[in-house]
Amino acid sequence: MSKSPRSLGYIRTLSVVLSAALLAACGDSSPTSTVSNSTSPGTLAVDPPLRIASLSASALASELSASASGAQLLEVTGAPTCGVDFYYIKFWTQGGAKETTESSGALMVPTGGAGCSGARPIVLYAHGTNANQALNIANITDTTNTEGVLIAAMFAAQGYIVVAPNYAGYDISTLGYHPFLNASQQSGEMMDILTAARTALPGTLSSATSDSGKLFITGYSEGGHVAMATERAMLAAKATVTAAAPMSGPYALEAFGDAIFYGDVDIGSTEFAPLLVNSYQHAYSNVYSAPTDVFSTTYAATAATQLPSTTPIDTLFEEGLLPELALFDSATPVVDIPGETALSAALTAQLAVPTINPANPQTAIFALGFGSPYLVTNDYRISYAVDAATNPDGAVPTPTAGVPLAAKAPTQGLRLDLYTNDMRTGWAPTVPTLLCGGDADPTVFFSVNTGTMKAYWSTLVTAGLVQILDVGETPTSTAGFGPIQGAFLTSQAELLAYYQTSAGGGLSLAAATAAVVENYHTNVAPFCALAARSFFDTVLLGS
Amino acid sequence: MKTTIRALTAATALVALFQALPAAADDSDPVYNNDFRVGLYSVFYHTSGDDLQGPYVPAGVNFKADNLETLYVGYVRSLPANLQVEVALGYPPLSKVEGKGLATVGSVPYNGQVVSSARWLSPTVLLEYVFLSPDSKLRPFIGAGVNYTSFYDRNQTAAGDAATGGPTKVSLSSSVGPAGTVGATYKFTSHWHLNMSYSITRVNSHVELDTAGVLRTTEIKFGPQALVVSGGYSF
Repeated sequence: MSKSPRSLGYIRTLSVVLSAALLAACGDSSPTSTVSNSTSPGTLAVDPPLRIASLSASALASELSASASGAQLLEVTGAPTCGVDFYYIKFWTQGGAKETTESSGALMVPTGGAGCSGARPIVLYAHGTNANQALNIANITDTTNTEGVLIAAMFAAQGYIVVAPNYAGYDISTLGYHPFLNASQQSGEMMDILTAARTALPGTLSSATSDSGKLFITGYSEGGHVAMATERAMLAAKATVTAAAPMSGPYALEAFGDAIFYGDVDIGSTEFAPLLVNSYQHAYSNVYSAPTDVFSTTYAATAATQLPSTTPIDTLFEEGLLPELALFDSATPVVDIPGETALSAALTAQLAVPTINPANPQTAIFALGFGSPYLVTNDYRISYAVDAATNPDGAVPTPTAGVPLAAKAPTQGLRLDLYTNDMRTGWAPTVPTLLCGGDADPTVFFSVNTGTMKAYWSTLVTAGLVQILDVGETPTSTAGFGPIQGAFLTSQAELLAYYQTSAGGGLSLAAATAAVVENYHTNVAPFCALAARSFFDTVLLGS
Repeated sequence: MKTTIRALTAATALVALFQALPAAADDSDPVYNNDFRVGLYSVFYHTSGDDLQGPYVPAGVNFKADNLETLYVGYVRSLPANLQVEVALGYPPLSKVEGKGLATVGSVPYNGQVVSSARWLSPTVLLEYVFLSPDSKLRPFIGAGVNYTSFYDRNQTAAGDAATGGPTKVSLSSSVGPAGTVGATYKFTSHWHLNMSYSITRVNSHVELDTAGVLRTTEIKFGPQALVVSGGYSF
């Protein structure tokens, strides 16, 4: 047996080879998306964005058909004609006080053959109020994302590219609050996500679809206000807007606020009030000195900052962190303004719990907004009402010619903020615009908002440019929006019958009627969205 | 099956080569303690792993590795008492990973699609017991040791990008695991010999996919088994 001293040399050689190979193992992976260093508003933060899902037209139809609600939605939207790729956009924007913040949203890209790819129009969509801080409208895999499903089926699956923000304060945004009904911030954020989405689209897996340059703006409820504010801002900036269709939005905010503080409390007010107070306090610092100025001691510790929340709002109600219905104290205040006996008496009467008038079903809803414990203090309510009474809005309580805003800027903080964000600012659409809603809406009152805008614009806008659609009205024609009105009324009747079946809860007629009313605002949404799509289709054909 | 046939073909070719060499081994042959081996590494994966976990991932997204062949290089050092140490190394192969599970992710084809690839550096150190005397022509051996596996050149394919939703950074943690082998050496001359072995190695890796900052993870047990046919030179 020989033992070569050279063997140690070979071992050393082998070690060197091994070491070299190990170093080679440090080779990197294929890259992922680029993260932008810029935080300027409108910057796409992650390029290309994540595609959460890609569904063919048939797969989307199949997914929707698998649930009763999805199948009902398909009856309204029609069968998908395009596949849809769902992208999760992250972008930079600004908060209500110009804070730099990252926000997120959806880019839904139609895919497929003719009419689904190539140059396609964009629908810029603003969603309705959502208490869920984790909301991601791009996440089509989330079964609670009903508004995401609606806009996918209604617009993207019919050939429109859809761009929709989650809004600052939601999802990944670390802003810490949501700039609710802040026209400047929300319109800015809409334009920012539009810029980011247009940057993203060519680099996505769906680059066979491109932006045609046609832009349609729409949104529902809170998003109706956002859509109108965005239309106003983009037109002011001379950006291209092809048409707009704000839906069921609180456009005439000062008038709407006055109606509520006078006692016409809407369904959802105990969700909206904390969001509004938190938003305007951050933006304007004039709503309160301390939360107890606005909120009763029962809720003051948490109400100002808890929405949106990752805790379901029903849990907040159950745990007593928010009242479900009682916006105001059922022991209504006696107003005593020194030297203002008549005004004091008038306001005391005005602030009483509304009398239920059987001829006006909404009065029963208004009365539900009073109770104890309650959210907003009587003192704060009085301060608002005094301002409203001494410097009245042109639409509430008594409409005056032109339904203008208060003659001079309000002095009460919250009312001033509503005045600031009201859409009656001397502006009127210069592109085709449809305002859609339902006249019995108990959440965002139709006449106070849509009706007021119609009256306000009546002398400002070119004839025929603005259309108003009340889907709750009995149709007078089988043409135009008549079939949509008919379908909505049929759906309401079907819903009333359904609630009385065992599958629907076996409710009494009265309870079923109340359930229909309670869900009215939500149920209008798909029909107004269908009207918006039909309107956009018509504008496209004529352009 | 195709891989096995190739391995056997290679073995036959090596036997023919060594038979052509002069000077068959006999009792008077010297015994050398160092040995370099070169041959064919046929790797058969028995992949198992958890379904991919993370945001927006439907249930049932899994992976499997494609079998492969690569160059085997080994160094064996004889020790007293019929023991030897083998350092086994393969030329880092390009291993392809296929989607397994769902036929489609959304509407994107998945099952059976090559979704990613990576090269492996996978040295193994084995302590082996060799049966029979050093003079024997045929000497079976059995061994156990440690494998270290590191992955590099990790790339996701276009099909993988489509499934995960965009360009993706693939990370696989390095693995240290036990390895076992059985085999035999057939000596043609005092210098030249033919080796065949079958080995089983535990290679487990934590896999992380980063798509646009969204992380998805799984644990994969690659379970490689390898048939090695090699020619060796002792010195």
